[in-house]
Amino acid sequence: MIGQLWINGEWCRHDADPAAPLHRVLRENLGLTGSKDVCGEGFCGACLVQLDGAPIAACLVPVALAEGAQIVTIEGLDQDPVAQSLMAAMEAEDAVQCGMCFPGMVMTLTHLLKTCPTTDREKVKRALAGNICRCTGYERIVSAACRAAKDLVAADAQKVVA
Amino acid sequence: MHNAERWADRTTIHLPATAGAAVKLLGELGSEGRLLAGGTWLMRAPMTSGHYIALAGIAELRQIEIGQDRLRIGAGASHAELALALDGLDDLKGLADAAGGAANPAIRRRATVGGNLCTTAFAASDLASALLAAEAEVTLITPAGTLRQELAIYLDWRRTSAAQHHLLQHVEVSRRAGRRLCHARLPLRRAGDYPVAMVSLAAGSDRQGRLADVVVAVGAVESQARRWPALERTLTGQLPCRSAAITCAQANLCQFAGREGPEVPGWYRQQVLPELVARAVAQWAKAGGQE
Repeated sequence: MIGQLWINGEWCRHDADPAAPLHRVLRENLGLTGSKDVCGEGFCGACLVQLDGAPIAACLVPVALAEGAQIVTIEGLDQDPVAQSLMAAMEAEDAVQCGMCFPGMVMTLTHLLKTCPTTDREKVKRALAGNICRCTGYERIVSAACRAAKDLVAADAQKVVA
Repeated sequence: MHNAERWADRTTIHLPATAGAAVKLLGELGSEGRLLAGGTWLMRAPMTSGHYIALAGIAELRQIEIGQDRLRIGAGASHAELALALDGLDDLKGLADAAGGAANPAIRRRATVGGNLCTTAFAASDLASALLAAEAEVTLITPAGTLRQELAIYLDWRRTSAAQHHLLQHVEVSRRAGRRLCHARLPLRRAGDYPVAMVSLAAGSDRQGRLADVVVAVGAVESQARRWPALERTLTGQLPCRSAAITCAQANLCQFAGREGPEVPGWYRQQVLPELVARAVAQWAKAGGQE
């Protein structure tokens, strides 16, 4: 059986079983390895992708139920200005360690920065409740998210002035 | 390691458009058919072969209706949708807290109210506890017709053979003036965990500000959430203070046998209950300006 998914702005065909978890289809059938295969129970956040704009645990979504939805993976954020600002802040804050949790972290934080631009440390921590960093580098990740929020607000203010 | 071959060409996922069509399919497929709501429980293990009837496309199941004297929650509403819908409703804050605090944000976006109540293997359902305290009723669609039950009865009934081939359609809660629902939970981590124990409390107050018409439910301690009638009787007429809450809970603690688990031993779940009762009572008092 052939399935079809709308991923990062293009149609992708696959022949996986309809009940296969979305993250495994992304990784094994479509070569999109940014979504990590870790806990398989929705608790670590390493597999997060955006489904119709909101981050969800791809390990808990049967691929058949993702058909018709707009899927964005970490690979699809390379032109996203909010994600770009976040990644720059991550680099500036030296927040990246082993990298296993990072695609999921970026998925969560990009959504947060878009839906709640005036975020603060408490909101960032709440948003990251489902993203586990085994390197325990949380504080610098939170700092990076707050830095990105300030940068984005400042950039918006400059646009208004201009 | 997972093995992709486990899923290879063994399952069929059906996508009915109405609740009636889903029940009809369930009847036709017999023991081969299973309902698939948000998938957050079923997908934790490789799905076994067979037919799954996905409820995600059934719009009628996702509706949440908030009336002055009644709340109706479609079984397909997600935890996140419920928490958002209840935001700002003081009398139902405990239900909003249960929906908005369960698991983590990504799971809350997918996990449905109905899936949470129907999953017999899941002992730590925040919604089961909160809805029990709210004295909720459920409406089920069965091949024989529509059936309405108290949630407390449903939680036992769903484990019986009579419960095969039913679909939970919606949950209803009566809203009564002066009555408030609170929910206290204890996860091991502050975020992203299922709680080791939880207490939900619904009560009104008498003219002296004492607790009246008390309902208490406990979740995660045993294999299924249930009410705590002895504590309900003992708390009735008490001032909403910490010492009274702890004394009353300790006096009735023997009525629970804590469930053993890899995260905590059974005795621990039981022993934290008085503190959770005190927290629920404190929330109740704070919400009513009796802090």
